Amino acid sequence: MWQAIKDRETGRVRSNSFANRFKSRRASSLQLSNRKDFVSPHRGSVNSLQVDLTEGRYLLSGATDGSAAVFDVQRATDYEASGLIAKHKCMFTVDKQHEHGHKFAISSAIWYPIDTGLFVTGSFDQFIKVWDTNTAQAVVDFKMPGKVYRTAMSSLAMSHTLIAAGTEDVQVRLCDIASGAFSHTLSGHRDGVMSVEWSTSSEWILYTGGCDGAIRFWDIRRAGCFRVLDQSQTQLGVRPPVLKPPAVSSKTFSAAKSSLGGQNRLKSLQNKHTGSQSAKGSSSAKASVEKSRQKRLHPGMLSTLDRATAHYGVVTGLKATNNGMYLLSAGSDSRIRLWDIESGRNTLLNFETGRIQTNKAIQMDTSDDPALVFVPCLKTVKSFGMWSGRTTLMLRGHYESVNTCCFNSNDQELYTSGADRQILVWSPDGSVEDEMVQDEVAEDKDNWSD
Amino acid sequence: MKRTNPEPSASGAKKRRGEEDDEEVGCSHAAVEDGAVSEDQCLPLEDELTFSDTSVALRMMRAQFPRIDQASVPPFILQSQLYSSVNDRTQVDRELECLRREKVVRVFKLNTGQDDHAVIFLDDYLNQVDRIVKRMEEKKQSDLEIFKWFKGHVLDSKLEPSIGHHELFSLLSLGGNVKDAHITLLINAGLLTRQLIDPDMYWFAIPSIGKLWKGLLQGRNELLSLIKRKRHKEMFLAELEKKRLRFSPLDVRFHIRDLIGSGHLKTVQTTSGLIVRIPKD
Repeated sequence: MWQAIKDRETGRVRSNSFANRFKSRRASSLQLSNRKDFVSPHRGSVNSLQVDLTEGRYLLSGATDGSAAVFDVQRATDYEASGLIAKHKCMFTVDKQHEHGHKFAISSAIWYPIDTGLFVTGSFDQFIKVWDTNTAQAVVDFKMPGKVYRTAMSSLAMSHTLIAAGTEDVQVRLCDIASGAFSHTLSGHRDGVMSVEWSTSSEWILYTGGCDGAIRFWDIRRAGCFRVLDQSQTQLGVRPPVLKPPAVSSKTFSAAKSSLGGQNRLKSLQNKHTGSQSAKGSSSAKASVEKSRQKRLHPGMLSTLDRATAHYGVVTGLKATNNGMYLLSAGSDSRIRLWDIESGRNTLLNFETGRIQTNKAIQMDTSDDPALVFVPCLKTVKSFGMWSGRTTLMLRGHYESVNTCCFNSNDQELYTSGADRQILVWSPDGSVEDEMVQDEVAEDKDNWSD
Repeated sequence: MKRTNPEPSASGAKKRRGEEDDEEVGCSHAAVEDGAVSEDQCLPLEDELTFSDTSVALRMMRAQFPRIDQASVPPFILQSQLYSSVNDRTQVDRELECLRREKVVRVFKLNTGQDDHAVIFLDDYLNQVDRIVKRMEEKKQSDLEIFKWFKGHVLDSKLEPSIGHHELFSLLSLGGNVKDAHITLLINAGLLTRQLIDPDMYWFAIPSIGKLWKGLLQGRNELLSLIKRKRHKEMFLAELEKKRLRFSPLDVRFHIRDLIGSGHLKTVQTTSGLIVRIPKD
């Protein structure tokens, strides 16, 4: 390790790669922490965890008993076992006893991305509440048409403060904190929407995954979704080939299908729709009569005809990688798929998950430098190499099924929570610190003057 | 060929490799197939659990598919069997995709409730469709051109396991005038089934798979309960191979490969051979 520092001094190793070397070693050796513990005040399974995006210091958790709690990750409230174990108690909680608290389970609790002064909670009592952190009061309330499964806010947003809400209703609603009203309603899904995620490369793009198994990409400046992911549209390799693969057959329909982007496909769907309608009709070749006969769809709404599914089941989790190029989706068919966002294709990476929870939404997380994906699989948390799909770590510690994983990339710690009401900390096994301590203890023997 | 445990003697290895090469060549000839099956039942599963390549694995497993006389089902391989036979799952997925695009194999989704996909060589499937047409001709069924259009237009261009109603109609219309009765005929023959979640979509299906499908589900349960009943929930692979399943016409190796690939069983290498055990999580 001192050799690495010497290389950095002499300039043989660049600062980024020096830092990444340590981070990747730490992130690949996670185990249940014996130094740090969160004292969870929740009386129900913890459904949502998020570390704040500005400092990486505060952890927000939401649970099934309607309580949301905030913990300080870096400073412990008290120490046990003569200073070796740091206990982190929650700084405050808002629960059912609170006069404006949620009445049913909280399914999603997220920080306001700009600072930690606000946080947003979504609950099964069909409300989304925005809370002021310092006074622990609910500032704005939004009433949704159904149980709220997930809320999300864009971390890149410069010009909007919209909360995207996925509920059991088929429409995704965007709520504006500044005005207190709904700004957008996105229709296209055919069943409830269980997972919502903003893009990490553009503040206008939203990804939603529904209970019908479809994943849709929405640009909120336009009407309708611009892409629906289809698991049979595949590409072999993590980037699409420079030359297009040879066309599967010369038939016009399949040629339209295999072309890039959703536009041609949607047009061909519209053509088929009108084609079949006019074939059944008798004499009307005029556009006006066709319009009256068949509900003419706005080009943005053509996507409702597209029934491609990304999973054979409910899409329970979505996570976009930090470089904005790939999207991970978890489904109740116990598969995790990696999608190339730009081409919209399935990269056919197979992650060796055994079984994933099917009835509830799960929260996955990714780490950048050793490119790992952390996924809760029933009672264990597995980490997979993102480009190989192989299991690198199996973390067993929870007594019941795990719901969320949250990776703190500043400290390379993983926080997980589950149905056993615990929030567990997994930290690197501290071999580097031991090395440094050993070196410090060896004093300079020549320094003996009084 | 990948070996899971080192051969005791070099001559033994050469002999076994020779046998397996014969089988590989033999599987393309139907006459030698029966001989290949009986020869290879004396070869333990431990030695040929993994293969180097998906297409090699597909051919070997097709050769080992049990011959059942009552049901005329083309030999199929489950995707979970491929996962247990080749080390890298992503490689399996990608090679299977390549084979599918080159129209060497076809993938079907089985409705067992889990994510089961069956892989069938396209030649076997087309032979099966021809057999169905012949059987229907004997029963004096009319409108048999629909099968020709199905083979020529639909199977040729639609490589996914499911198809929408409009697309099916339009592809079949490329052959001639299509009526709803024709589609009913295809469903009765067992080539298409309606999807339960979406009334407008069909799954491509393997005809007369019913008995084997039931045998698959029951055989899985039987094998798992066999191992669960043991004290430590584990068994030697060599011992497990010799068991005979009562409820499934498919043989034990088929089920073992399938269960290892879908994660219900785990193999551990020990000094006395491979052990199969039920994983704790």
